[in-house]
Amino acid sequence: MRIIALIGDTLRELTGKVTLLILIGISTLFILGTLAAFSARETPEGILLSLFGKEAAAPVPPDRVEAFVFGIQASLSSGLMTGIVLFGVFATAGLIPSVLDRGIVDLYLSRPLARWELILGKSLGAVTAIVLVSLYFLGAIFLVFGLKVGIWNPQILTAAAGIGLVFITVYVLLLFTAVCTGSTPLSIIAAYVYLFVIAGLLQGRESGLFLFSENNVFRSTIDGLYYLLPQIPAMRQSISAWIMHQPAEWVPFLQSIASAGLFFVGSAAILERKDF
Amino acid sequence: MEAIAAEGLSKVYRTRVAGRTGVHALTDFSLTVESGQIFGLLGPNGAGKTTFVRTVLSLVRPTSGSARLLGVPLPDVNVRSRTGYLPEQHRYPPHMTGEVALRLFGRLSGATPAILNTRVPSLLAQLGLSEWGRTKIKRYSKGMVQRLGLAQAMLHDPDVLFLDEPTDGLDPVGRKEIRDVLIGLRNEGKTIFLNSHLLSEVELVCDRVAVLDRGKLLRVATVDELTVSGTRYEIGFAGQIPPGFLDETRARVLPVSFGNGVMEVDVHGTDDLNRLIDLMRSHRIAITSIIHRRASLEDSFLKMLKPGEST
Repeated sequence: MRIIALIGDTLRELTGKVTLLILIGISTLFILGTLAAFSARETPEGILLSLFGKEAAAPVPPDRVEAFVFGIQASLSSGLMTGIVLFGVFATAGLIPSVLDRGIVDLYLSRPLARWELILGKSLGAVTAIVLVSLYFLGAIFLVFGLKVGIWNPQILTAAAGIGLVFITVYVLLLFTAVCTGSTPLSIIAAYVYLFVIAGLLQGRESGLFLFSENNVFRSTIDGLYYLLPQIPAMRQSISAWIMHQPAEWVPFLQSIASAGLFFVGSAAILERKDF
Repeated sequence: MEAIAAEGLSKVYRTRVAGRTGVHALTDFSLTVESGQIFGLLGPNGAGKTTFVRTVLSLVRPTSGSARLLGVPLPDVNVRSRTGYLPEQHRYPPHMTGEVALRLFGRLSGATPAILNTRVPSLLAQLGLSEWGRTKIKRYSKGMVQRLGLAQAMLHDPDVLFLDEPTDGLDPVGRKEIRDVLIGLRNEGKTIFLNSHLLSEVELVCDRVAVLDRGKLLRVATVDELTVSGTRYEIGFAGQIPPGFLDETRARVLPVSFGNGVMEVDVHGTDDLNRLIDLMRSHRIAITSIIHRRASLEDSFLKMLKPGEST
């Protein structure tokens, strides 16, 4: 019940954040734009798609329509995931440092509420907000393609859970930095550096970082970091594959969830030792 | 029954400036507060008052020693469902209205929505915030924030209330109202632990007080014990003091001082006082009044601290 109260409080707090409103606004514009600009017409050769009234050079053959639509949906979801993580980190980064501020934290922790419950509730609130925004966008895309092309792809809806998982793994890095430093800007920087620099380097370590050294200790360390830290690019590929009804790798999700759990436990342990 | 107990509690804050030595916020602090009292903790700035409360509420980890709250050894998360806390300089997240804040903190304290449906409006009314419940707290005045702070501390009907400067920012009428609320709570059997700089406020409501300085407990006493410890009497008289009376007083009783028809004397007990009255009567001095001057709590407090200290 206390965790649910904290989730509700966090959702209420986030609805007042401009960043999240911008994300919802952009999503709405994108949905409306897709709805208005995209159309499909059946022809004897297949389905002829048009964008802003301009028809494609050739119709998509009937046996390839589904794969074609799934591909568009996967691209849109991938774009959404980038937007969600980019804006989501920005919108939610202040949640933990602000609740741990002296004068506010006292009001929370003087209740029968463990410290780990406080950060769990706030984190779940942030993730719930992101999943809801994802569902809003993906649900709309599901409807647009269902109504206009007649192809209903329920897997695009379940991709919201995947995006939620990706966000969890990013959020725990942010949480860890916030608990250690109490700083919102540093938390954002840490999350972005990981997302845009470290994650990519680790993912492509064999064709990149390993070229710099053949030292086994170096390579083992890099490998260790790869398996210890969330595997964002791999999860992203898996979500796209899932939407396109192709075989998806679940191991990166499991590893990333384990990594998130480790970072959460670390954050809770550090928080437990803090004086307020 | 003991509500709060501390045994040998110490807290050293490690600071970069102080290095290994650190700041000793509490040193071997032992205290027992019985249930159903209003207990005041006094001390100058930096004495360790807030550290003590925050340690008992597990916001601060003690360096050594132990504490119990309502008989439960600390730290214990669940016992906090029976305590309320009004922190000094508390703040609320900017998105909250008064009502939203009370409902959230009520739920975090374990109150059910059904209880909160009746408790929240009644507390807002009791503290004069009925019309402000749906207004964002960032629009509240300091006094209103303070009242809301008291409401959130009382929300779940706790057995022990920790109040850090509860009348801070309130006007005299507001202070009186808060005093009445505190006295009402004591009459219901609640224990109230008060940290305050306003010694006159403490004097008016507290049953017992403790004085803390630089992390060390100086004294625990009732307000009466602290303020009646003064043995000064003011004796009003009419007419002239006969020659030789002063010398005789010095010889037989104690030195006295005169001025504007009032004689002041510090006696060692009522025997001294009666001997002085007898002497005055024997010299046919007409006594018009006898006033036992109580030391104010502030006088007693300042006397306990080293010169130059202030509240």
